[in-house]
Amino acid sequence: MRTVLKVARLFGAGFSMSLRQTLAFRVNLAFDIVMAVVQLLSTLATVLIIFSRTDSLAGWTRPEVFVLIGTFELISGVKTTFVDPNLANFPTRGIREGHLDHQLLQPAPSMFLVSLGTAAPLAAVQIPLGLVVVGMGVSMGGQVPGPGAVVVWLLLVGAATVTMWAVGMLLASLAFWASKLDLQSLYGNAWQFARYPSDIYAKPLRFLFTYVLPLALIATVPARALVRPFDLSSVLLALAAGVVAVGLAVVAWRRGLKRYTGATS
Amino acid sequence: MNSRIPQLVAIRVRNQFMDWSGAWWFTVTLVANHAIGPLIGLVVWSAVMPSGQAPVSYYVALVAVQLLTASFENHTFSESVYDGRVSHDLLKPQPVIIGPVGENIAIRVWMGIFGLPLTVVTALLVGASYRWSEALLAVPALIGAAVLRFLWTWLLALAAFWTERVHAIVAFGNILIFLLGGTAAPIALLPEPLRSIALALPFHAMLGLPAEIATGAVQGSDAGSAILLQLGWGVAFAGVAAVVWRRGVRRYAVIGA
Repeated sequence: MRTVLKVARLFGAGFSMSLRQTLAFRVNLAFDIVMAVVQLLSTLATVLIIFSRTDSLAGWTRPEVFVLIGTFELISGVKTTFVDPNLANFPTRGIREGHLDHQLLQPAPSMFLVSLGTAAPLAAVQIPLGLVVVGMGVSMGGQVPGPGAVVVWLLLVGAATVTMWAVGMLLASLAFWASKLDLQSLYGNAWQFARYPSDIYAKPLRFLFTYVLPLALIATVPARALVRPFDLSSVLLALAAGVVAVGLAVVAWRRGLKRYTGATS
Repeated sequence: MNSRIPQLVAIRVRNQFMDWSGAWWFTVTLVANHAIGPLIGLVVWSAVMPSGQAPVSYYVALVAVQLLTASFENHTFSESVYDGRVSHDLLKPQPVIIGPVGENIAIRVWMGIFGLPLTVVTALLVGASYRWSEALLAVPALIGAAVLRFLWTWLLALAAFWTERVHAIVAFGNILIFLLGGTAAPIALLPEPLRSIALALPFHAMLGLPAEIATGAVQGSDAGSAILLQLGWGVAFAGVAAVVWRRGVRRYAVIGA
């Protein structure tokens, strides 16, 4: 429990420091807000173009797709704010240039320092924007979800966030075996497939995006929980995926650390 | 000196091609980054349209166009303004643009080497088909798109003389290409008046036009007038870029010896 509190305090301190560094440049803040809004508007415009040709996208109505996109933006905001600034270039910066050596000497869990030690606070603009789009989707649908559906959605958003972090960690850990293998960029590309309902993909891809690279659990499953009747199997699958992904990430990280001999010694 | 320009560009392309030969993994990530938009478009529109009407061949062709017209001048040129390397280029007895042009072509060649096999495999998997005659007719439009997209990105990259946020500006430009260039939806499927606006603006000529000609969606005089419009936008961008370049260089100041 003390370790958890310590990590939470470190997380808060790291974010606070990043925020103060960032707010020194107000013009950048305005720029990033405008860009986040423009990017979101382009996504919504794409959805409106699609629905100008159809009433349903693989069984999803327009309000449901809005909820899905809002959920996707929310979790993408968490990813780009907290995870990407740390794990991007980890094989180069962490392993090959020896930055990891310094982190291993710090009195804090190395997985935390490597993956959540710093932040890009401006990217967090995406998080409230995502929530607004979820709200828009819900109000367009005309049916207010019950408190149970909201709780399940929050639970699944939490599970998706944990899964997102664990998959990033797992891919970063592969650098212990192949230090030139930087998979974060490819992960970022594959991440875009979660922007639409997983039902639009052919069966082999849907299987891949559910059980191998669990992108279907990022936005499709949480959004479905908010706009459709409760489905226990999806909830259990999402939670199990989170647990398995974290387990794999921890095992891969520990085994990788055993192989690691340091870049500077 | 003008007669030496093609030779200087060729030397630059060769040098950059050799430089990039060691960055094969990075090139693969660039290919994935550029192919993902059209591939998602392919899946989405296949889900929307009944089979047979889905723009499958269009989106596969769009992957190839996207890879062969990719431009990165905000990285290759703007960064040299920020860190002062452009000062050395300004002192050389040759136009500075030769460097970014050479690197642009070299990167596109590498992206083609890695990305075109991916495009062929995708075409075979999804059953895309083309007529040779239409594919060959698309080549002039593809060259025009490659030049136009370079000029557009170059123009935006010149903003580096005024602001440090050039990557955000280029990202904004790429959003316009995504929405109005034919990735979000084939231009023919856009609702009016967006369709007419998209056809008049240059973004369609940068991306969607060669794919539409290759699939036979645009033919004959329509293709001819679209290529003429592409040429007109190219001349306009080149003229504006020349003016912006002169003003930017006048504004540029460097510290140090």
